[in-house]
Amino acid sequence: MTVLLTEKSGTAQRSAGHSTPPPSSRRRPGRERAFDDVPRWQIYLPLGLYLLFTLIPFYWMLLFAVRPAGSTSLVPWPMTGQHFSKVWNERSFAVFFQNSMIVGVATLVATTVVALAGGYALARFDFRIKGAFMLALLCSQFIPGALMLVPLFEIFRNLQMINSLGSVVIAETVFQLPLSIILISGFIKNVPVSLEEAAWVDGCSRFTAFRAVVLPLLRPGLIAVGSFAFVHSWNHFLFALMFLSEQDKQTIPVGLNTLIGADSVDLGALAAGGVIAAVPVVIVFAFIQKWLITGFSAGAVKG
Amino acid sequence: MNISKTQRGRAAAAVSLTAVLALTATACGDDGSGSGTEGSGKGEITFWDNNGGPRTAVWTEIIKDFEKQNPDIKVKYVPIPIADVQSKYDTAIAGGGLPDVGGVGTAYLANIVSQEALEPVNERLEGSALKGKLVESMVESVRAAAGRGDDIYSVPTSANNGVLWYRTDLFDQAGLEAPDTWAKFYTAADKLTDAKNNKFGYTIRGGAGSIAQALDAVYGQSGITEFWKGDRTTLNDPKNVAALEKYAGLFKKTTPAADVNNDFTKMVAQWDTGTIGMLSHNLGSYQDHLKALGEEKFAGIPAPVGDGGTRVQVSNPVDGLGLFRSSRNKTAAWKFIEFAASHESNSKWNESAGAMPANTEAAKDPWINATESTALAAKTLTDGSTKIVDLPYYLPDWNNISKADNEPEFQKLLLGKITAKAFLDDMAEQLNAANQEWNEIGNG
Repeated sequence: MTVLLTEKSGTAQRSAGHSTPPPSSRRRPGRERAFDDVPRWQIYLPLGLYLLFTLIPFYWMLLFAVRPAGSTSLVPWPMTGQHFSKVWNERSFAVFFQNSMIVGVATLVATTVVALAGGYALARFDFRIKGAFMLALLCSQFIPGALMLVPLFEIFRNLQMINSLGSVVIAETVFQLPLSIILISGFIKNVPVSLEEAAWVDGCSRFTAFRAVVLPLLRPGLIAVGSFAFVHSWNHFLFALMFLSEQDKQTIPVGLNTLIGADSVDLGALAAGGVIAAVPVVIVFAFIQKWLITGFSAGAVKG
Repeated sequence: MNISKTQRGRAAAAVSLTAVLALTATACGDDGSGSGTEGSGKGEITFWDNNGGPRTAVWTEIIKDFEKQNPDIKVKYVPIPIADVQSKYDTAIAGGGLPDVGGVGTAYLANIVSQEALEPVNERLEGSALKGKLVESMVESVRAAAGRGDDIYSVPTSANNGVLWYRTDLFDQAGLEAPDTWAKFYTAADKLTDAKNNKFGYTIRGGAGSIAQALDAVYGQSGITEFWKGDRTTLNDPKNVAALEKYAGLFKKTTPAADVNNDFTKMVAQWDTGTIGMLSHNLGSYQDHLKALGEEKFAGIPAPVGDGGTRVQVSNPVDGLGLFRSSRNKTAAWKFIEFAASHESNSKWNESAGAMPANTEAAKDPWINATESTALAAKTLTDGSTKIVDLPYYLPDWNNISKADNEPEFQKLLLGKITAKAFLDDMAEQLNAANQEWNEIGNG
């Protein structure tokens, strides 16, 4: 069984990874020559400018976060940790961070598991309303969360789930499932069904075949869907604001908004809060960017 | 490939179960208009702070004092970001889950009252220790803002006032006098501008919150003291049109071009960190200026005086505490409101916020005169020298008209895409229609 699975996995990886021609074979000779003839500065200058454009707001945020209050220096020196200390200790960001992490990880797990099941069903089963179901999934992407706020609020209230992180996890998961199911479904379609059939012949149940044969090949797709779910729920403000009232239940985006008052704003604290909010997202993307791009392109383009 | 057929029985059962669960989950919801109960006067009450975050520390202290004095009552404090407080109330009114007590500003009081979520507090005030101890003009403001005749739906706690902040160091260097008249204001804006060197005389509010500030400048210059003339607004009076043309004409001439998107955060930040001569905001940003510029470099004065020799300004929102109808412990909730509006608590809160107290005893406390801008604002509001144009906060459509509908139009005005007359005519038409509708349903 091990040998069979290894072979099939290899075949499947080739199938999933090489179903489109390798980049070199897709290039037309003229196009390649034209690319080589382009002076390097014509490539790096626009890229550099774009990078600058992207990084300046981050630099500005870091500058305000580490610069003492009242300073107008354009360099982060002398540095201070007073703003970080203030938001982390006095403005409860330690609690918000923990809550956001719980919501993010739980949404990641729930979205990935349910999307796997849904994606598998769409990829492998034919049923009468499949087309309509896919259309409904796509259409649901156009419904803004704010529109569903009151019904969701009422449902969670009657389920005694207001002020529970579970309500936010459920709402976030529900809103992210359509796109996640479509992505995972596209990815599963790229895994030849003959691999599963071979496993069934060897005595595996459908679930075991899925777990042992298909699941390992879905890693880029799972990472794409999981990270997307995590980052989206990490940054999402509306559900957390509406469903969580107690301060010790609130999440980072709500905490950031409480740093802006009616008539005054502590820019240093706001910037420090922004840095704290950005760190996990930056770390997530730094580690998974390779798989993320593969996952999105494979799931979306071929789906 | 068709691996399996749909099993109709299982699907039908799943659909039925979902429907039952959904019906169960959405049943029995009560909106904010429930009558609630007086309760035992003990137990837990929930309080929503409508400016959560910046005021959390002072509210925590007040709640601690209250619980010490009333050991049988526990207050659950919920901070709501100011930008989202109205949508939070609206959702809770529609879906249930309102607090016992909530911070309510006059800018959105009418909206909440029209949804029958708040309880009138006239009778409670009559029998309260607060009777006669609240600044009359603020009580009148919250009464008028609710738009329900004599009924009062919020106990006022504080008021803000518009302030023209100016950089004393830049004015001294340029040999300019304090901009206490509109003529001096325009001269200073022009003289302090050196756009090539990124120096500007004024920063205008072009983004969120632009309308109230523009109206302040318009009525301040025109000298018109009434918002309504019969059932028509004075907004598009020719004098106001001329004033708005002059004010909007400052854009890009004496202000940064980016001001078209200025909300108060950007406006205050760029004034505090740049070289801009003047800023129109309110008392609330004093601490920000103090931290950024130090005491010596800036000062704040009330709105400039117009050519007619009278200071005219539009009414500023009054903040207060509302008692929600759906509360199941109104006795305890009212005790908390009384405590928060009492001399000591109200003074403590307003000193922290840099606002004007609603409690008459708190308004006499020494800290009021410790800061020149606050002392001048207090004097302006109480010495009778200033005419206040009451904005129609009582119109349920006021927030839509003054924000969503017309802030983008004001940006078009700044960018020269529409004229001041077209802008004011259009907004006046919307206000007249909203007022007519309000009168027709028996409020006028």
